[in-house]
Amino acid sequence: MNFVHTLEHHLLDHVYSHVSAGPLSFRFSKHLLVMWIAAAVAAASFVAAGQMARRGKRNRWVLFVESLAVFVRDDIVLPNLGEEGRAYLPYFLSTFFFILLMNLMGLVPGSATPTGNISVTAALAVCTFFMINVAGVREHGFGGYVKSLVPHGMPVWLLPLMYPIELLGLLTKTFALCIRLFANMIAGHIVILAFLALIFLFEKVWVAPLSVSAALGISLLELFVAFLQAYIFTLLSAIFVGGAVHSH
Amino acid sequence: MVWTVVTFAGLAFVLARFAWKPILAALDAREDSLRQSAAAADKAQKAAEELRRSYEAQLAGVESKTRDLLAHAESQARALKEDLARTAHAQAERIIDESRKKWADEEQRLLRDLRADVARMSLLATEKMLRRGLDKPFQDRLMQEALGDFEKWAAPKP
Repeated sequence: MNFVHTLEHHLLDHVYSHVSAGPLSFRFSKHLLVMWIAAAVAAASFVAAGQMARRGKRNRWVLFVESLAVFVRDDIVLPNLGEEGRAYLPYFLSTFFFILLMNLMGLVPGSATPTGNISVTAALAVCTFFMINVAGVREHGFGGYVKSLVPHGMPVWLLPLMYPIELLGLLTKTFALCIRLFANMIAGHIVILAFLALIFLFEKVWVAPLSVSAALGISLLELFVAFLQAYIFTLLSAIFVGGAVHSH
Repeated sequence: MVWTVVTFAGLAFVLARFAWKPILAALDAREDSLRQSAAAADKAQKAAEELRRSYEAQLAGVESKTRDLLAHAESQARALKEDLARTAHAQAERIIDESRKKWADEEQRLLRDLRADVARMSLLATEKMLRRGLDKPFQDRLMQEALGDFEKWAAPKP
């Protein structure tokens, strides 16, 4: 058995078709398909909950979505953004549920994990980067936001040094968001594949129960990590946007 | 990457418009109504407390008023009693005085009558003695007669 080939098969994307438009390339791949399925599931289920809530209906599904929305509102967004956070709340709710559903998709057999693709997490981080700057400009105006990037009361001669550092910090934060989600989602898959590969490396029957139970444990861990990473991505996004809104 | 941004932007737009807006509105409405009913309950409790305090104050007022009334009635009764006793005493004194005076008057009158009678008797006796002369035994007899008459008069009338 070719271990490298197996890993590539399970971890990397499968491109079904490819269209180039100038410098951009549009690929229709398995990760994109799964992402669209996740988006469709999110849209269908949450819009259904929203429409039921609008009609004043309150069944289990509406209450479930409401309780999750309350969690995102009271534990992620409002503590970091204050009352101004209400305007950004829909963005963070969408971020949380989109990432969560993509993470959970990876646990469906035969499916794939879009958040285990660095292009996807990079795109999500770019959205957060965009949100940080938009929120900063919205709250302080363009000049005020540029001024608020460096700490207040800085000596003028330090500014040429501070601006690159702060801008670099902004990029690093976003880059870390991208890498953290990607690495966390792919690491669990690698560990599961490694455990299962042990069976073929040893070629002994008694290895199978051990490997499969270990893989099962990691799968359960991945279920937890799916929620945890969606929470962390949203929480850090909220902290960064909050930092731009309430700059020192 | 472009696909992800496009998908996410579309999803965020659709969800914000059709899912989060109504859900968050419903949440806010429910939380508002909860806050309002809590405030209303608080207000009602305060009102009840106020009412209870006013009733207590009223009750205390009634109690003190009753006590005042009772004390007033008691003092009035005592005064009345004393007044009655005093009047009765004075009246009794007067009656006693009056009767004493009446008795004294009667006594005086009786004595006066007695004196007048005695004088008339002795006059009568003297007259009889003068008419019969100086016979001593006769004189004695007359005297005896006069005295007997007197005794008969002085004897208590039946």
